[in-house]
Amino acid sequence: MNKVIVGNHAVSWGVKLARTEVISAYPITPQTQIVEELSDMCARGALNARFIKVESEHSAMAACIGASAAGVRTFTATSSQGLALMHELLHWAGLGRHPIVMANVNRAMGPGWNIWTDQNDSLSQRDTGWIQLYCETNQEVLDTTIQAFKLAEAVNIPVMIILDAFFLSHTSEPVDIPDQVTVDRFLAQRETSIKLDVADPHAFNALVRPDAYMEMRKDQQDWMRRAKTVYAEIETEWKALFGREYGKIEPYRTDDAELILVTSGTVTSTTRHVVDQMRERGTRVGLVKIKMFRPFPTDDIRRALSGAIKVAVLDRNISPGRSGIFAEEIRSALYNIPMDDRPKIFGYIVGLGGRDVTPAVIEDIVEQTQIATQPTREDLWVGVKP
Amino acid sequence: MKQTTRYGPPRVASSTTSTVANQTGSWKYIRPFYQDKIAPCNAACPVGIDIEAYIALIREGRWQGARELLLQENPLPAITGRVCDHPCEQACNRSQFDAAVSIHAVERVIGDMILQTPPARANSTSTHTIAVVGSGPAGLACAYHLVKLGHDVIVIEAAAEPGGMLRLGIPEFRLPRRILDQQIEWLEALGVCFRTNTELGTDIAWEDLSKFDAVFLATGAHSGRMIGIDEEDGPTFMSGLDFLKAVNVGQRPSIGREILVIGGGNTAIDCARTVLRLGADPLVVYRRTRNEMPAIEQEIREAESEGVRFQFLSAPVSVRHGESGTRGLNCIRMELGPVDASGRRRPVPVTGSEFTIASDTIIKAIGETSQLDYLPVALEREGTSLIVGGLGETNIHTVFAGGDMTEDTRSVAFALGAGKRGAIGIDRLLRPGRRQPDELAVEQLKFADGNVSMARWMSSDPVARAAPVNRVVSFDELNVNHFRHLARNEDRTTMMEENQGSFQEVNPGLTSEDAITEAGRCFNCGVCNGCELCLILCPDIAISRGTGEERFIIDMAHCKGCGICVEECPRGAMAMTREGL
Ligand SMILES: Cc1cc2nc3c(=O)[nH]c(=O)nc-3n(C[C@H](O)[C@H](O)[C@H](O)COP(=O)(O)OP(=O)(O)OC[C@H]3O[C@@H](n4cnc5c(N)ncnc54)[C@H](O)[C@@H]3O)c2cc1C
Repeated sequence: MNKVIVGNHAVSWGVKLARTEVISAYPITPQTQIVEELSDMCARGALNARFIKVESEHSAMAACIGASAAGVRTFTATSSQGLALMHELLHWAGLGRHPIVMANVNRAMGPGWNIWTDQNDSLSQRDTGWIQLYCETNQEVLDTTIQAFKLAEAVNIPVMIILDAFFLSHTSEPVDIPDQVTVDRFLAQRETSIKLDVADPHAFNALVRPDAYMEMRKDQQDWMRRAKTVYAEIETEWKALFGREYGKIEPYRTDDAELILVTSGTVTSTTRHVVDQMRERGTRVGLVKIKMFRPFPTDDIRRALSGAIKVAVLDRNISPGRSGIFAEEIRSALYNIPMDDRPKIFGYIVGLGGRDVTPAVIEDIVEQTQIATQPTREDLWVGVKP
Repeated sequence: MKQTTRYGPPRVASSTTSTVANQTGSWKYIRPFYQDKIAPCNAACPVGIDIEAYIALIREGRWQGARELLLQENPLPAITGRVCDHPCEQACNRSQFDAAVSIHAVERVIGDMILQTPPARANSTSTHTIAVVGSGPAGLACAYHLVKLGHDVIVIEAAAEPGGMLRLGIPEFRLPRRILDQQIEWLEALGVCFRTNTELGTDIAWEDLSKFDAVFLATGAHSGRMIGIDEEDGPTFMSGLDFLKAVNVGQRPSIGREILVIGGGNTAIDCARTVLRLGADPLVVYRRTRNEMPAIEQEIREAESEGVRFQFLSAPVSVRHGESGTRGLNCIRMELGPVDASGRRRPVPVTGSEFTIASDTIIKAIGETSQLDYLPVALEREGTSLIVGGLGETNIHTVFAGGDMTEDTRSVAFALGAGKRGAIGIDRLLRPGRRQPDELAVEQLKFADGNVSMARWMSSDPVARAAPVNRVVSFDELNVNHFRHLARNEDRTTMMEENQGSFQEVNPGLTSEDAITEAGRCFNCGVCNGCELCLILCPDIAISRGTGEERFIIDMAHCKGCGICVEECPRGAMAMTREGL
């Protein structure tokens, strides 16, 4: 079934088709539509889930953790300050290995109260033990939402699906909504041997002494790594059923590219367009879209970027006092490959707080990168007023 | 299709032993405890009824227990359920949430039930006999409690039948005589003796009372006040109380068509509504505005809806004689000046604003005073009111008094409360040593700053019987997040058309099912009702059900003093204290 829907509702549809059993959320712009639609679905009886109203995002995540510990499929959505408020419990969900799925609509952090998109909210949660998947289109949002449950439950790691504020959340696009029967074939009801059970009482997440803690952490790390393989398997299955795939990363016209642009989120679509136009003019430019940020797909990145002469990373985020976060991760991923294969990495800070990243901005970046012989010490801030 | 690999379980901290070993209780520096307080209705009740407690029993359908609790404090629930102006409902915390619990309606249902079965005769356990003079609510309450306390009582009443204002003043359409008669029979069955047609000062002398061990005076206030204009003893004028008394004993005085009722209290409103039922046209003339009217608000509203007209800010000046003999009243307009001793704004005449209202009869209902001529001058009084202490004691050792003849709010409930205080005062006098007579104990008998509790007096240790904290729980102390909005079961009033010319009771009351739902609206302010929220919400599962008196037990080895139970308690029945205190 084709429908023209906003990105937020693409999430809601995904959550519905995944037959989610417990939803708990607290409203925040620009996420609210997601849970509004879900609460409506619950009220109408279209979705047989328990919708738990709470007084904060912290409690929303706590409720999800409780429900997940009871063995059911759980979902929440948030954005920006709401995500920040969840921080403590993101760790708890991660290390407690609760396969919760959450949609985070990328919104800039305040102050400078701002409701528009950038990635600092989700990237600040990098080390909480969540898988992070950045989406480019509403279709990808819907597909990824359903896949996320399968991935999370296979590896017992929570998954954060990330979509740009307004550019996706509030923009309507035609979306193919999969039929329930096929989705059911793809995604079975959640099964877990470790859950709260009055017939077999356990206490979870109590005190763990130094002699056991590291093993828990190592297990988490091992499963994070395996999640990459599992995700590839899931995509294969999905493709067989629905004909679509996205990849942990997506190289686009990179084969003979001298310069490769690296993007994530909706900047990718604009960049794709710029790459096509420049290719027509004979510029050997390509694009790598990063979808999976955690676990970091180091091998895929190495394969896609080694051989290029220059790489320009567009970061819609900033780690203050360091650099753009994607650029930094890519530099570190490529450092240990043979010197000759190592491209020069140029970092650009763009589009913070929802500022537009237009084709002209991207063309500028391409030109600047072409002219420069060496990257500057620090990433370049594009279009910043003096 | 290939199913995605399912891997083994994750490595998480999971234990099969209980967390009891982790004594989280050692972390706390403050601890919760259960602490009942006083519901605002109880403190506001002039009778001193444990309203919260009996309502809780009704909600559970435990009518018998509810009856006993109610009857311990109030001898006339069928009557107060009808005519009390229910200060309890004004105080009800629920009024700040949606609407007050309709306590009077619930009380009326249970009151009517009580009348269905006569009480067992009270055991006479004392050698004392007490005379109660006057059988209005104050006298009836005092006699009732004294009989229940084991004393012998004789009620001396001037009128032909007992009841005081309940019979002579309050009209049939608000309080059917049938109910009053049943109530009196019920009291007789309990052991209260009445000697009617016996007026103190006429039929018996003050000295005759000396043979009694104690006397409780409750002769009310029955003399109509004078307006202070010429000819007011003339035939055009009639005292409101006399008019009501006449109608109440079945007479139908001929009053003409256009009737003026002067005044703004219960008597005035009752007169106007009675006039309406006699087929005449009443106009209430009151010198202040509707806001200052001392009559019960609901009565005013009912009068308005029945078609009683009001002429506010007007005072009578003189009688008018027309050419053809038509009569009327010359009045003057008033305006409200500064606040006076009664706390209301004093009406002052507007010069040159005289006007005339035609009238056939003018009913004076501007208040009543007591007649104390038959009492010895030695009895201390202030104006026309007797001076009494906290338990009704006068300056004469064995003489007690209460009700309208003292300086007290004039209402049935206040009279009942005074009767109870008098009974306790007399019991204390006649059986010294049985209970602590000191002032402290008297304070402890009260619901916060409200009236005394007979339950506490009857208990061997009234101090222990008092709530741990004798303080009213405010709305802010409740956690109303746990309550749902529920519509109040409003009084139904029969249509005006049906009322016209009929003395049938205006308000038919609630059914017992409605009374149970209405009781279900009660918050049980300040009193644990075993709702178990504390137990459910304790994150340490440190609260368990108790047995008997103790509803819940807090396991202090595991309570870490987080205070969630106290915070979440919907009714403010828990508190925190420092460890070691
Ligand atoms: C018309 C009217 C309507 C009212 N409506 C309400 C109402 O709706 N709600 C409310 O709460 N209050 C109402 N009141 C007030 C209430 O009725 C009185 O406050 C209450 O009855 C006072 O009780 P009491 O026992 O002190 O006196 P009373 O009820 O006046 O009883 C005194 C009794 O003493 C008797 N007596 C007097 N002198 C002697 C004597 N020398 N010897 C022997 N017996 C004597 C009288 O005959 C009478 O029976 C109303 C009053 C009136 C007049």
